[in-house]
Amino acid sequence: MFVLATPIVDWNAMWKIFLVALAAGAGVVVFFGFMLLGLKISQGPATNRAAHDAGADGTQSAGPDRTPSAGARLGGFTLSLVCGLIVVGVIAVGVYAMTQKPKSKPAKPKSALVIPAGSSVRLIASSG
Amino acid sequence: MGSNLILVLVVGAAVCFDFTNGFHDTANAMATSIATGALKPLVAVLISAVLNFVGAFISISVATTIAKGIVPSSATAGVDGLTIVEAALIGAITWNLITWYFTIPSSSSHALIGGLIGAAFAAVGSSAISVHGIIQKVVAPGILAVFVCGIAAFVATSAAYLLIRRLGQEEARRGYRYGQIGSASLVSLAHGTNDAQKSMGIIALALISTGHISAAHFYVPTWVKLICATAMALGTASGGWRIINTMGNRITTVESPQGFSAESSSAATILASSYCGYPLSTTQTVSGGVMGAGLGKRGGVVHWPVVGQMVVAWAITIPLAGALGYTAWHIADLFGTNSEVGAVVIAALAAAGAFGLWTLSKRNRVTPEDLDRTNVTPELEAERAEAASPVPA
Repeated sequence: MFVLATPIVDWNAMWKIFLVALAAGAGVVVFFGFMLLGLKISQGPATNRAAHDAGADGTQSAGPDRTPSAGARLGGFTLSLVCGLIVVGVIAVGVYAMTQKPKSKPAKPKSALVIPAGSSVRLIASSG
Repeated sequence: MGSNLILVLVVGAAVCFDFTNGFHDTANAMATSIATGALKPLVAVLISAVLNFVGAFISISVATTIAKGIVPSSATAGVDGLTIVEAALIGAITWNLITWYFTIPSSSSHALIGGLIGAAFAAVGSSAISVHGIIQKVVAPGILAVFVCGIAAFVATSAAYLLIRRLGQEEARRGYRYGQIGSASLVSLAHGTNDAQKSMGIIALALISTGHISAAHFYVPTWVKLICATAMALGTASGGWRIINTMGNRITTVESPQGFSAESSSAATILASSYCGYPLSTTQTVSGGVMGAGLGKRGGVVHWPVVGQMVVAWAITIPLAGALGYTAWHIADLFGTNSEVGAVVIAALAAAGAFGLWTLSKRNRVTPEDLDRTNVTPELEAERAEAASPVPA
């Protein structure tokens, strides 16, 4: 009777896993993207920089100077730094979580294999 | 003497299983990084091998669960248990090699569970199997893993491509390639902490059942950790190029933002599930992530026939690995109960089968050079996208 009453899916755990996967998985990607964006803002558009550099050599016209202002550079750098730290922090939490795996829980509802007590051998296995 | 010989065979089979697990699952961590050219194939598998090796030493909770939490210490007293475990490992190894030959990513953990079910069924009968437990702990998580990680990767990829509009294609690709190296490394490390320890747990269990270590003062001997970590690392370093090709190139055409999204979502899902004590299959999680990432890009295409092949392989992994374990146990039993001759015979048959599959695989080899994208020009990339076919190589 107990076995029949045990739910097939632990929805409470699944829901938590889904939220963490969404928050951490998608979050890291978004913050990493903002980190790249911050770097881009702080350095200015690559094409214009290249054109500017080429112009300085006198081999090519420089075109309009679109070097970002000091404020924009600082803002971009700050955005990049903050987002980079968040990404590193999430990775650190992930590594920490690996070292802190929960100890084995009671196996009652977990058993995939149960060899009866009367048998010479008893084995229980579960998904790992 | 007999039990010692079978113990040696069990240890050997567990190490071989770790090796096949390594090359089977390298793709989970590194396929997308290789596919986008973030890493050269050989560099990718070497990084993955080192991190798998390190991961094997980070925690022994999985090994403890297998050796103590799952199997009661009194349960495997005698050689019966060892023969079952050997037959189970042989079933799992053989299934891993078959799916590798057919280039299909399938779960090594499910293969091991299938092998155990088959061998235990052969030894004890149907009362050994809890169908509810199998559905609850193996089948349901396997199905849900694909969707959980797939949705997370879909959202992540969609968000990444929204940002790319502001970043510019080339800068984004370059930047996300660096991100991919980090996220793939995290998946490798997580894989090492989980999968290398399954074999450690099995060997520890065998050592407990033969009285070599005490169940009351349980520990995993250093030599066991070393051989399992080394086998996993060597297996990983050997590549598994066939499955890497499927995961990285045949499910969808992966760009670096997609690869990063898939790997980040996979790492988050695997770690969250392990932490919640509700472990999900790495293979199915990463496959779901790659599919989600494929769909998350506007106009992205997922090759559903390939996905169909994978789903079929997942569905038949437990029954067929079980059938192999069942057969292995019965072959061993032909030579008498707990016979060391039988144990040697099934090990020899498995070795012959492995050699046969390896020989067959040479006919359509996939090499690291075939997969290297680090020097691919945009023109070649366009040709590759056109030539990409969902039909297996």
